[in-house]
Amino acid sequence: MFSETLRQSLDLSIFWEYRQTLLVGLLQNVYIFFASAALAMALAVVVGLARLSKRFWVRGLSTFYVELFRNTPEFVLLIWVYYVLPILLSRLLATQFNLSPFLAAVLGLGVAYSGFMSETVRAGIQAIPKGHREAGTALGMRDGAILRRIVLPQALRRMLPEMLSQLVSLFKATSIVSLIAVPDIMYQVSMVNVEQMRPLPLYTGAALLFCLVIISATQMIQILSERWRRRGWA
Amino acid sequence: MNNAVAEQKPILECRDLRKAFGAFEVLRSISFEMQAGVVLSVIGASGSGKSTLLRCLNYLEQPSSGVVFLDGEPIGLRRQADGGLKPDSPANIARMRAQIGMVFQQFNLWPHMSALENVIEAPRQVKGLKRAEAIEIGRHYLGKVNLLDKADAYPARLSGGQQQRVAIARALAMQPKVMLFDEATSALDPELTGEVLDVMRALAEEGTTMVVVTHEMRFARDVSDRVMFLHQGVIEEDGAPAQVFGNPASERCRAFLSSVAH
Repeated sequence: MFSETLRQSLDLSIFWEYRQTLLVGLLQNVYIFFASAALAMALAVVVGLARLSKRFWVRGLSTFYVELFRNTPEFVLLIWVYYVLPILLSRLLATQFNLSPFLAAVLGLGVAYSGFMSETVRAGIQAIPKGHREAGTALGMRDGAILRRIVLPQALRRMLPEMLSQLVSLFKATSIVSLIAVPDIMYQVSMVNVEQMRPLPLYTGAALLFCLVIISATQMIQILSERWRRRGWA
Repeated sequence: MNNAVAEQKPILECRDLRKAFGAFEVLRSISFEMQAGVVLSVIGASGSGKSTLLRCLNYLEQPSSGVVFLDGEPIGLRRQADGGLKPDSPANIARMRAQIGMVFQQFNLWPHMSALENVIEAPRQVKGLKRAEAIEIGRHYLGKVNLLDKADAYPARLSGGQQQRVAIARALAMQPKVMLFDEATSALDPELTGEVLDVMRALAEEGTTMVVVTHEMRFARDVSDRVMFLHQGVIEEDGAPAQVFGNPASERCRAFLSSVAH
């Protein structure tokens, strides 16, 4: 009985049958991943720096931002951005305001992960010895140039492993966007399931597919960063 | 010092410099003048305020009161039309700092840049030199500290002595009016201090204006033109090395020198 179930689950021929539909779905995940990762990292640098600001209110505001988005489940945030935000904005701007599911997904996931990533950015910047900044200051460099040329290049390298695990989480989180009707891989899998009624191989296949994509991507990045490391800088 | 030199405008002047961290007064009314081409060594026990004094000279520490003048221009403050002084803009403070080289105890090289990139960074970013121009200057100063062959090496691949020499080249590449050395050999293994001191000695012989905070008494005695002994934030002794080391007026200076002689 058990072995029969297992055999059915691992009979992934149905994936091959529906390869085009499923691939189109997976591409949605990939697009959403890249767009929300770009948004999250850009926000993370800004918020991470704001957390280290000399100004009390900038620090306070950014701390609030981090705590808010770090402690809200991505799923709830996604629903909120898709259903509540457009209504709020419509009232506020007194015009009809709509968010496409794709845009809502990018916005929701991007903002959610910017909270985590900004902490990585902050820690990365704080790990750079003060003396490195002082050396720049003593040479007459301005704060902006020191940040751009000395602090961030080093901090970003330090952040890489931690950032990578955040990105893995983000890619996994793209699997929830079907809940706001983005036609991603999980959405397509359920559609095929409705047609074929074969949940065992379909959901097993989806799990394996996510695993495969993430493992190959992280392996590739590890090989790349190893190559950078060998170039000499500690 | 003959009269002709004494009448020159000082390159560096401290006027009633004070610095407190909270209630703790590190520097208490430091005043002195210094002519171009002079090598001034600042000695004293740890905690005497030597490093703080040095860091006030290029405004890395903001003095609690008093003014530092570089070549007659106040640092961190701007002269008003009515003769008063008010806080200067960050741009102007940076412009003044660019004219003062500083070498740190911990070298503070940037590990993600090669030796040459470390040296050309400020000439490129601060002076806006073209890359080729900056490289020419950078290679000149790396040659001066005998490290031209290490131009492409990253700091992690260099010994402590080599790193400090790159740091000296980096400061020199801005062609500063004054060089500050903050215990430049204290973090080095004893067998590596020699190569750094040799570079500093060579700079002194070329007439570089230097303020050297140091524990190397031999260097202070043999290389400097003037030695200053600091005790609890006050200049206790200030004079030619022969006088300070041979016949100090201050009892504390005498005690300090005999304690470090052994």
